[in-house]
Amino acid sequence: METIIDAHNISKIYNKESIPVYAINQVHLHIEKGEFTALVGPSGSGKTTLLNLIGGLDRADEGSISINGEEITQMSSGDLIDFRLKNIGFVFQSYNLIPVLTAKENVEFIMQLQGINEKDRIERVKLLFKQIGLEDKMDYRPSQLSGGQQQRVAVARALASRPQFVLADEPTANLDSASANNLLDIMWKLNQEEHITFIFSTHDQRVIDRAKRVITLVDGRIVSDTNQVPINH
Amino acid sequence: MLVIISMAWRNIWRNKARSFVIMFSVALGIFAGLMVMALYKGMMRDRIKALIYQETGHLQLHNPSFKNDYEVKFTIDNLANVNNLLTQNRHVKKFTLRSIAQGMLATTNGSAGLQINGIDPASENNCSELNKKIIIGQVFSNQKKYEIIIGQKLSKKMKISLGDKVVLTFTDHTDEIVSGAFRVVGIMQTSNSAWEERNVYVQRNELNELLGLPNGAHEIAVILNSNEELPVAMMDLKSKMKSVLLEDWKKLSPETELMVDTVDITSYIIMVIILIALAFGIINTMLMSILERTREIGMMMALGMNKLKLFVLVLMETTFLTLSGLPLGIIAAISLSNYIAENGFSFGANSEEMMRKYGFGTTIYTDFAYEKLAMTILFVVTTAFISCLYPAIRALKLNPMEALRK
Repeated sequence: METIIDAHNISKIYNKESIPVYAINQVHLHIEKGEFTALVGPSGSGKTTLLNLIGGLDRADEGSISINGEEITQMSSGDLIDFRLKNIGFVFQSYNLIPVLTAKENVEFIMQLQGINEKDRIERVKLLFKQIGLEDKMDYRPSQLSGGQQQRVAVARALASRPQFVLADEPTANLDSASANNLLDIMWKLNQEEHITFIFSTHDQRVIDRAKRVITLVDGRIVSDTNQVPINH
Repeated sequence: MLVIISMAWRNIWRNKARSFVIMFSVALGIFAGLMVMALYKGMMRDRIKALIYQETGHLQLHNPSFKNDYEVKFTIDNLANVNNLLTQNRHVKKFTLRSIAQGMLATTNGSAGLQINGIDPASENNCSELNKKIIIGQVFSNQKKYEIIIGQKLSKKMKISLGDKVVLTFTDHTDEIVSGAFRVVGIMQTSNSAWEERNVYVQRNELNELLGLPNGAHEIAVILNSNEELPVAMMDLKSKMKSVLLEDWKKLSPETELMVDTVDITSYIIMVIILIALAFGIINTMLMSILERTREIGMMMALGMNKLKLFVLVLMETTFLTLSGLPLGIIAAISLSNYIAENGFSFGANSEEMMRKYGFGTTIYTDFAYEKLAMTILFVVTTAFISCLYPAIRALKLNPMEALRK
């Protein structure tokens, strides 16, 4: 299998000057292409911090992180922005769509930042909206969509740039059961059919049940890392 | 880039009330600045017009020694030849000869030092519109000798009325003191009360008689076809008249030229002050807008929007916000300026004395400064750019991870 993420001995320390607090403590992590992985653990265990470190939104104080063989811990902030644009898709808990853009424009936005031509953008947008089942709502503004629909658009946006992997921080936290299941179905299908790598941080048992691999964090350390057969799939 | 422009335009309408307030402020500021410029330009145009057509002419000719001490013996040499050259010159529309003596006017109420201008009524009326300035009496009756026209300001100061006799005392061409009693036949009012107080008119032949200079003249005031011909006319006349001192209105009235330059700079300063005040409003609005969208900006940075694009987004938003009010301000200023240019704007009787003291009429006719419009727009765009810097820096300094937590 192809290794996408190789985090070696990474730590994130707060209050280094006074009483150091290890948000992430000497974590080793390898993620292979096509994984459907859930990061679980109690609040404050370091799930979101680990996602931020992998996603290049935060910097590790110790250790190294390679994405597709490219070391990101020493990159400048400008290079990291460019790296994120080309390699990583994000899905946030609060959807975070741009309110002044339509659903279609939100998805297209990432491709426009990448400089993809209009013809290719339109084709990709159509395909993504078909995959998330919102072809009829492409021209809606986020405020005209339900939470579940917004999160599906957020998934389409995360995939628009054809990233190496998608990081999803508590993607179902704000959704009702039906919407959460619908979103998970879509992500699962994308994982199965297109081998898109998904890494979630979650408390949600429904997400955990569907994961192929579950990594449990406690106090910034990985306490268990198990592969499982996803329930219902 | 189109998506950034589109986003910027939509972003400014997220809080319509706030955007409208700032747009209206910009419109009002631009309107005020342009109106000040139009008002100043109109005032200066009228002042120059009054100076040329009522006081100095476009240019004047003197004996080169005359203006040193205003000695009456220094009359213009070869007057007939100069007269002839001026008549034939294609730039010269009209001219008038004047004899000048510095002297004293005395009445039973007191005395005042002034300039006595000996004029030929017909050509003076033609050149300086003297007849139009007479508010009481007439120019000269031509029936009686030794008549004088004085200014309204002098008449009030010296309590001189129409028909009163005044005594003029001055030195003749041999430096002997001579006096003459003149009867007031006209009281004039000009737009320049200071000038009016220190100038009187008598007939040139009568003044020449007292000066002992039967055919002399000290000054020739020349009106050209237009002010634009002034430099060419000056060169042309200078090459043909070596023995006379030629001076244009700017040299004759340096205070007016200084005033024109000063007012030009002042109008720009006023515009800059207005824009600085506006800039603070724009900065505040943009800063609010950035702070309200901290999370959204963090998200865009997280997704891969680089700092240049984020800066362009903030710049475009500021520019749209600023430029949206610009057309309204310009249209309002042009409309009102055109109305005042036609109908005038009166400062009222209370300000008459003050305005006339500086050579201005009480009714101002604006002249919209179209030539300064491009500069004004450039100022506004510059203001938008400067105003966006601080909010943009705040946005660029955001840490995407921290911004997403807000």
